Amino acid sequence: MLGASLGAIGQGKFISKNAYISFYSSTPLEDILGESNEAVTILNAETGEIAFQALMTTFHFKRALMEEHFNENYMESTKFPKAKFNGKIEGYNSSMLNGPVSDIKVTGILSVHGVEKTLTIPAKLGLEDGKLVGSSKFKVTPENYGIKIPSLVRDKIGKEMEVTVKAYYAPFGQ
Amino acid sequence: MFFKPHADINKLKAEFKFDASGLISEFEKDENAATAKYSEKVLEINGELKSKTKMANGTDLLILEDEMQGISCQLDSSWASTNQPIIQSLEIGKSVTIKGICKGYLMEIKVSPAIVLK
Repeated sequence: MLGASLGAIGQGKFISKNAYISFYSSTPLEDILGESNEAVTILNAETGEIAFQALMTTFHFKRALMEEHFNENYMESTKFPKAKFNGKIEGYNSSMLNGPVSDIKVTGILSVHGVEKTLTIPAKLGLEDGKLVGSSKFKVTPENYGIKIPSLVRDKIGKEMEVTVKAYYAPFGQ
Repeated sequence: MFFKPHADINKLKAEFKFDASGLISEFEKDENAATAKYSEKVLEINGELKSKTKMANGTDLLILEDEMQGISCQLDSSWASTNQPIIQSLEIGKSVTIKGICKGYLMEIKVSPAIVLK
């Protein structure tokens, strides 16, 4: 249960069930882009805690074969179906939810492929056309998460992946 | 194989048929077992339509059975583009049957891409 990591579901929480997440790598041989619009995220307005989860199987690629390799060979999606991030906004203040979009930092634990790492990522949070929106762009190194990339395709896949997330939050239970 | 096309949900045969509530209770009972059994499988699901929206990227989204913890179906974009009248005719609170690929459980059961059967 996703809400469990943030305590009981109730007031003072914001949710997005169709958040965007992508990862991108570019090499002279190939650009790789995997995108999902099915991530779920909850933001606790009282504490500034953020939980974000994505099912690996919801990532789409331009080529079907890439999608297959991603799930079967690299992410082992059957064994590790979800990527998770549980973090907290640094210097959190509830006014961050009511102002224009501003830069924030979020520190937390990213769990990918069954490996957990503590990260501090730059993000943006605030109101855009009256809607609460959160976004972030940061880099991850697949090898740090025990993801093995065969030497045959090593030159096609970047050492680092650029991860982009964006969520439009709505108050929970409304 | 390099240019192997994405699966066409129109042509895939459903491996399992469910009432929405039956599928939800299987995931609630044992998420890991249900994920192993149904993830990436084609399911046909009948349930009550709770919400029908268009996402910011243009994808049609149907939610069955429970708005928060039900079954979330993102419709196949090419199917949706030629079948807007069917989507428009769907009424909240009425029964709908969809066919789609189960992606697992994240607060709700994710099914995508999906098409409307009736």
